[in-house]
Amino acid sequence: MPKPLRFYSLIAFLVLMGALLALPRQTAQGQKALPNSLLTGVVYDRQNQKVDNARVSLFAAGADAPLSQTVTQADGRYALTIPATIPDELTVRIEREHFQPQIIELDTAVAQTLRTGQPVSLPDTILRRQITLSFWIATLIFMGMLLLIAFGKLHNTLAALLGMSVVFAVSYLGRPLSPELFIFDFRGALRYVDWNVIFLIMGMMIIIAVVERTGIFQWLAFAAYRLSRGRIWFLVIILMAITGVASATLDNVTTMLLMTPITVQIALALSINPLALLIPEVLASNVAGISTLIGTPTNILIGSYARLSFNDFLINLTPGVLLAMTGLILYCQFSYRRELLSGHMGGISQLLLEKLAERAQITQPDHLKKAGVVGALMLILFVTGERIHLVPAVTALMGATALLVWIRPDIEEMIEAVDWTTLVFFIGLFVVVGAVQEVGLISFIAEGIGRIVGSNLLLAVLVVTWFSALLSTVIANIPFTAAMLPVVGYLTATIPGAQNNVLFYCLSVGSAMGGNGSLIGASANMVTAGIAERAGYPITYAYFFKKGFPALLITVSLATIWLIIRFL
Amino acid sequence: MSGIVCAVRGGPDSQPTLQRAIRLARETHLPLFFLYVVNLEFLDRTASSRTYIISKEMAQMGEFILLTAQAQAEAHGIEARGVVKHGRVTEEIAAFCREIGAVYLVIGQPQIQNEDSLFTATRHQEFIERIENQTRAKVILPEET
Repeated sequence: MPKPLRFYSLIAFLVLMGALLALPRQTAQGQKALPNSLLTGVVYDRQNQKVDNARVSLFAAGADAPLSQTVTQADGRYALTIPATIPDELTVRIEREHFQPQIIELDTAVAQTLRTGQPVSLPDTILRRQITLSFWIATLIFMGMLLLIAFGKLHNTLAALLGMSVVFAVSYLGRPLSPELFIFDFRGALRYVDWNVIFLIMGMMIIIAVVERTGIFQWLAFAAYRLSRGRIWFLVIILMAITGVASATLDNVTTMLLMTPITVQIALALSINPLALLIPEVLASNVAGISTLIGTPTNILIGSYARLSFNDFLINLTPGVLLAMTGLILYCQFSYRRELLSGHMGGISQLLLEKLAERAQITQPDHLKKAGVVGALMLILFVTGERIHLVPAVTALMGATALLVWIRPDIEEMIEAVDWTTLVFFIGLFVVVGAVQEVGLISFIAEGIGRIVGSNLLLAVLVVTWFSALLSTVIANIPFTAAMLPVVGYLTATIPGAQNNVLFYCLSVGSAMGGNGSLIGASANMVTAGIAERAGYPITYAYFFKKGFPALLITVSLATIWLIIRFL
Repeated sequence: MSGIVCAVRGGPDSQPTLQRAIRLARETHLPLFFLYVVNLEFLDRTASSRTYIISKEMAQMGEFILLTAQAQAEAHGIEARGVVKHGRVTEEIAAFCREIGAVYLVIGQPQIQNEDSLFTATRHQEFIERIENQTRAKVILPEET
């Protein structure tokens, strides 16, 4: 191609590209010509929760095609762009799955205002729930998951995964058959997964995996024996304190997994019934775990949902936990008085004690020291982090990573130590609970409880605490708590005086301390019973109920008294 | 090598089994082996990822339980050995019987009759038949005097 021709071709090409680039800008400028022609509003449900993803359409009277369309955002707001030509009679239609459609007739004054370019804000719209086939299906899936977990027919994680898969199968495969079968799509389901909870638990699992290998639990348990100087009643108190503190800073299951074998050994060496030490330990573990945000998975769920900080739990729950622990210690002393006072039935075995002392060593002092330093820094960040909007999940992840980089463990081993099944369980659980939330079951339960308690905060405190405590004795407390969060959120928003989040603390107390009411009430109970059985000291359902249920009554009563004093 | 294998779990319910094994050792002058099997199947539904760390702790607890059994045997003038194995209880007992060429296997009676129990009455009987078929060990129960 000759040079001039190439030059002109290049110029023509650049002009053409410039024109193409300018086109959208001109269009955008054209839309800006009516910057204020907006029709705005907010959509709520009957529980005062903002409704997102609702389709908002503007129609001219009698027309089928909308003049303008949009969807509500996460805060329930919408803004309809108004076309250049505005008819006199306008209708706004708001639709969303699982809600009754709402049609708002706009009067001519609205149309006139819009013509002047002024924005118009419509009054808040309340959408009413609609019970469709998907409501019953989601409810059945949720109940099925709870039953599978309660009766141990499937592993928790498998039950949650199954529930999640059925929700998706019904939504995707059922929708072509009937729109009523739609629950939510994949993107909609992911909105219900609380990643703050997932990452916080994951970070803490890595920290725990390092700490549990150091021998600290064995060392502490033997230190408790030495400190007690053979006084069994005192040994019980120290062991309860150790398990309580460990449960509040790590987690109940790990604490009991590591404390139970060493406790059995101490009991055998002292010739006492191991259950006289184990039962008080596991009861203390369930009670004291809730004194911190990271102590129990239920607290992590509650903290993340209600935006309660580490300090909030420390300030508002720890005194109540101390009160409950005092009651629990007195109860255990009374309940096991024969074993504790009669003591060494077969005499203390020096051989066994020597063996015990030999084993009660810190096996990885360097790792323990480093974990202590990182743990202390994490504690500082947990306490002060809220000032810089540092969420606990980020603190836990930073702490876990720092510890791994510092001690350079076998990374494969550490990754294996993360309980992935639990994390997957949480994801599945969030989706299944999200499904019943989406179809409105949680709203109906919330409304029902709201009707019972009315505007009486004291009654609400009692109902939430004791309802949670008693149900947690038979239902796994994690799915229960996850399902109760929006219910408690609704009660918190609607009952005068509940905005201090007292009802979330009631849920924390009830769901955790309720675990003491039965053997299946908490994973820590099951783990303890499993190990004790393998040592020849089976813990039956009846035995646990006999010892645990009075403990539930005492500790929940004391914690309730504290919550009433603190908040009402 | 041959001898008597006594599968122990610990606790007061295992006392008749222990006593029977000690008496048998005194009568037959055969070496006595106390066997404890670390079985972590109970963690399947609660803490399956924790088997690595808990396995060591359970083994130590097993050794401790065996020490108490050995001390009892010693009090009767019998020197017994304690052995800890990891795995399914029935399979590990059978494997150990084969390993040492056991003449007798002393085991306890099931105490708790529930589905989760490793030794329900039915399973117990099946296990006895299996052991006697697969090994040359005769199964002795505490009631047999």
